[in-house]
Amino acid sequence: MGLKAVLNLTAKDVRAELRTKHTINFMLLFSGLAVIFFSRIAGSYVVSAPEIGAGLLWLVFLFTGMLGLGRAFVKEKELGTLDGLKLTPMSSEEILAGKAMYNLALMLGIQSIIFPIFLVFFDFPVKGSLLLAFGVLTLGNLSFVVISSALSTLVLNARARELLLPVILLPVLFPVIVTSVSALNRVLVDGEGFLNILGEIKIISTYAVVMSVIAMLTFDFALEE
Amino acid sequence: MPAVELRGVRKRFDALEVLRGIDLSVAKGEAFALLGPNGAGKTTLIRIIATLLRQDSGEVRVAGYDVREDAREVKRRIGVVSHNPFLYDELTARENLEFYARAYGVEVARAEEMLERINLAEREDDLVATFSRGMKQRLSIARALLHSPEVLLLDEPTTGLDLRSRQNFYALLEELRSSGVTLLLTTHHLDEAERLCSRGAVLHYGKVVAEGALSELKRSMESLEEAYLRITGEGNGA
Repeated sequence: MGLKAVLNLTAKDVRAELRTKHTINFMLLFSGLAVIFFSRIAGSYVVSAPEIGAGLLWLVFLFTGMLGLGRAFVKEKELGTLDGLKLTPMSSEEILAGKAMYNLALMLGIQSIIFPIFLVFFDFPVKGSLLLAFGVLTLGNLSFVVISSALSTLVLNARARELLLPVILLPVLFPVIVTSVSALNRVLVDGEGFLNILGEIKIISTYAVVMSVIAMLTFDFALEE
Repeated sequence: MPAVELRGVRKRFDALEVLRGIDLSVAKGEAFALLGPNGAGKTTLIRIIATLLRQDSGEVRVAGYDVREDAREVKRRIGVVSHNPFLYDELTARENLEFYARAYGVEVARAEEMLERINLAEREDDLVATFSRGMKQRLSIARALLHSPEVLLLDEPTTGLDLRSRQNFYALLEELRSSGVTLLLTTHHLDEAERLCSRGAVLHYGKVVAEGALSELKRSMESLEEAYLRITGEGNGA
């Protein structure tokens, strides 16, 4: 099974989402509005866009992600289809990976639309490679998705799960966000290249791998009632 | 080797002991009814056999495989139908079955085959959200049978079905029973148990209080219903 099982689950979720657009519409609307509001507020206070832009962009992704990423598991739980998934011979690792890939697809979709809007609205003077900046954002979002997918399973059986998730997510995400903002600033504002931000890339990647391993080890426990 | 075998199964939720040492054996090809009032522990027992829940102690085997040690092998050998159909409303009937077929590692063509078998081929491209409860339950059976399981676990599968849908459902189960699939059914409907099963057990407060052929259970009484009420104490002015 392996990758085939993972892709099957991801494809199912993507197909269902594309048909209803329940989650992506709200995430896009929220992130678009947030970028516009942030750019207007920054303009009103004559704050230099390059100084705070990367941080604000990450705030947009963070809030947007918290709005939609937890839904992948919560929806299955609420509809009772999570039991249907657990009854198949798919391993818990395959289920987690399938959901994380769906969440990554969501975030990459949002990122592809919001990143250009952000550059336009903030009138961002880009000095470095846009492709590298996009890559750094993608890596940061990958870590974000892995961590949020894993943590959303831990709160599945909690009553106030929608409230609990952001509270436990923020501290865990802190190192990823700080490092991603730093790397993004160095690429966009200082015009630095790949080799200069290799340290940040290693930190984000290592964090994503460590969190993935922890998630895989605790997922069985998280799914149990 | 029994299709399903339980030895000393216990399960506790916090202070409440839901299962208090269950011993049961269901032979291969048998249709077995698990009867009992609400809160007797029927659903908990089915969820343990289905690997969805872990027992605190005791042994549960399906087709010889331990549900805790060999959960993946057990999952390949069981199909589960409950009052929740485990279907995705925003996908079509065919897309639902194809998804589960891939998840079970069986040929996708099996989805078409099952849709024909449950007489839903004409609606295969309709969203499940547009289906009636009866149609969803038929599709749920198709989902549960995609991988040709040896044992079909049915947890109050006719809850919420109207008379016609229930009759269609029974016909499907009778067909399965005659094809040699082991059925383990929990139900509130005693007529359902009598119609589909030859043997059964009555569960009360997490213990098996009676077990045997359904005909034997009701032998000294006028009906199975009377036997059930007497055993569970529900007939004493409740």
